[in-house]
Amino acid sequence: MIDYVLAAAALLTTPLLLTAIGGLINRLGGIVNLGLEAMMLTGAYVALAMSSATQSWLVALLAALAAGGAVGLLFSLAVTRLEANEIVAGVGLNVATAGLIGFILKDYYHSSGTIRLPDVVMLPRIVLPGVAQIPIAGAILSGKDPLTWLSWALVPITAFVLSRTRAGLRLRAAGAAREAATALGLRPLAIRDASTIVAGALAGLAGAQLSIGVVGVFSVGMSGGRAFIALAAFYFGRNRPGLTAVGAALFGLFDAIQIYLQGRGVAPELMQMLPYIVVLVVLTAIGVGERKRRLLQGV
Amino acid sequence: MANPAVRIGARGVTRRFGAVLANDAIDFSAVPGAIRGVVGGNGAGKTTLMRILQGLEQPDEGAVVLNDEPVTLADPADAFARGVGMVHQEFMLVDELTLLENLILGREPVGPGGVIDRDKALDEARRLALSAGVELDWGLKVSEAPVHVRQIVEILRLLYRGADVLILDEPTAVLAPQQVRDLLNLLRRLRDEGRTILFISHKLDEVLTVCDAITVLRAGKVVASTTPAEANAGRLAELMVGETVDFPRRVPQTRAVEAPLLSLRGVKALDSRGVERLAGIDLDLRPGEVVGIAGVSGSGQDEIVAVTTGLRRAAAGRVTIAGKDATSLSVAARRAAGLGYISADRAHEGLCLAESIAANVVAGRHRARPFARGGLLRPRTIREHARKALDRFGVIYRDCGDAARNLSGGNQQRVVIARELDRQPRALIAAQPTRGVDIAGAAFIHRQILAFAASGGAVLLVSEELEELLTLADRIVVLHRGAIVGEVAGAERSIGRIGRMMLGEAA
Repeated sequence: MIDYVLAAAALLTTPLLLTAIGGLINRLGGIVNLGLEAMMLTGAYVALAMSSATQSWLVALLAALAAGGAVGLLFSLAVTRLEANEIVAGVGLNVATAGLIGFILKDYYHSSGTIRLPDVVMLPRIVLPGVAQIPIAGAILSGKDPLTWLSWALVPITAFVLSRTRAGLRLRAAGAAREAATALGLRPLAIRDASTIVAGALAGLAGAQLSIGVVGVFSVGMSGGRAFIALAAFYFGRNRPGLTAVGAALFGLFDAIQIYLQGRGVAPELMQMLPYIVVLVVLTAIGVGERKRRLLQGV
Repeated sequence: MANPAVRIGARGVTRRFGAVLANDAIDFSAVPGAIRGVVGGNGAGKTTLMRILQGLEQPDEGAVVLNDEPVTLADPADAFARGVGMVHQEFMLVDELTLLENLILGREPVGPGGVIDRDKALDEARRLALSAGVELDWGLKVSEAPVHVRQIVEILRLLYRGADVLILDEPTAVLAPQQVRDLLNLLRRLRDEGRTILFISHKLDEVLTVCDAITVLRAGKVVASTTPAEANAGRLAELMVGETVDFPRRVPQTRAVEAPLLSLRGVKALDSRGVERLAGIDLDLRPGEVVGIAGVSGSGQDEIVAVTTGLRRAAAGRVTIAGKDATSLSVAARRAAGLGYISADRAHEGLCLAESIAANVVAGRHRARPFARGGLLRPRTIREHARKALDRFGVIYRDCGDAARNLSGGNQQRVVIARELDRQPRALIAAQPTRGVDIAGAAFIHRQILAFAASGGAVLLVSEELEELLTLADRIVVLHRGAIVGEVAGAERSIGRIGRMMLGEAA
């Protein structure tokens, strides 16, 4: 049972982690991206369509990356240049994207919500010989797709880029003090746009993992609010990639547990609530801690 | 380039905002290797002129002069490329970054892959600090650095980026006297290396000490261009205001018999990381008494104010207002118990700038009669009452239904004082009550504070201006690192003595 749950948890964490890392970068740059869900959904659809059209998972991934980044840029320009409210723009983008993709499904594929395409090439599973047989470690490490490995590699890479490179420094400055950055000749809005493109691209990859990583179909409700869970993960992580990964893994674990328990007599509708309830509990606990701190510190 | 006669200046610079002439045909020039002071009251046009010299605004007529040539500055980056850098009153540092990161931001030494070459950056930083005669912990975050360190970093950053014209806007406002002396020495050092410095200040003694030449602005015009040898503080003040200003003086008195109106006992406060910011403060304010709080910015003044007003809970200790234990009372309950508060942050805490002037005057009493009845506001009563209060406090306004943000800074402050004193509190916390207010306005505010004390109120006065404390306070309590390190009263009050205490030295 443990092996089954852990193996599933590792796969379920991947889209959350990719999106959370992107959202974290975006937030450090000064934008709280509520439109990640749209970018994830776009990536999921584009990956499946491209995989079917080209029979190459790599081309499909690159297409999902580009599509997510493009939606991200669109959102970013609306916020940074047209000064749209980022909450309204983000939520609006989610609704509009779901609507547009639903329309494409209906009009082009004559499907009411779910499509299966011919000749879809799924992401390969990398089986580690020798490790696969080890209990627990094998379940977590072996048989995972390239995006899972990428998502975990991104954790230290992001931490390094943020703290040690010019790009990271400027990103943090643009997000924390726009005026100061402008006064120093930086272009904080352009930096913000770039960070949103990165966030969109990672969310696009996350979407690809949903459609061609696990099931090989696409449906309109496929992203299922995962971008908002990712949002919770990087708030939980307080801008630190390592802690953000812990948040994402926590949700992935409880998601795997609920799937495991579903087949065992508990009402599935109730079980599906489990990971979300865990998120609420964790965020509430953080909030209570914050509040205690703030009362002593002043507003 | 051969040495120009004028490194930076203005020729007939005029700037209008609607009907207001913010700058009216301003001429001035600063020669290389000299410090030029620019002084003037509120609304004299200093800020507008500096924004124009920075390229933040364009003159309607006339031009900025650089190296003897009239130029058009597109934006601050353009000004900077021509060697003109500014240290702002509100520092342009990124709080979340370290001092080193702030220094190099925008001009980072990098190796392959854009990885910052930390050793090189640190070498450069140390070299700059050495040449300026200071020692800094470059790994410190700005939010954790004391205010004079932040200022030094701002100046070093301009040097790091190659500026040779430094514009400093009220640079000494937040410093202790000894730190002011260090800063002025640093400026002299930079001048002697051939740099040009514009020193904007309303502290006339400092201007007279450090400047080689002084330009006086009033109502958008240059009213005098003089030198410290030719002028004195009194003469400069007259030029700035256009008349002689009478500041009230008071003879310090001691009162020990009556029960205190405000009292702190063993009050402690913590910051976000649980570090102690107030180390057990004991303080009593008796009726008719003005008690001043002096200290280097960040020594615990803000915490005393926040804990007393209820904006923050004390981690330990007791707060008593007019004999009532207020330690766990809300802000509203403390105000009801007789506490008045003039906030140092007028724009965010002192007023609601988006609301009408009238609403600001009655704010806090809006639920009670006569301003409300049956849960509904009574606008006419509110306006009538507001008009009376505004007249009494000499606020100049067009319509009391206008948003408070339409008022000048000095008039906004008068609205705050009108609101707080109109309620007839027993004890008044006045934090930086004259910050950003011109000389005439400051004198008016001083008179109001003293009148309040004379009528039997108690005043806790927190000010960065030692002169203000010496003028108004009966006794001055000096803070250092969150603790009271001394108290001076009566004839023993002197700037030098208080200054040493502020830095934690034995007086």
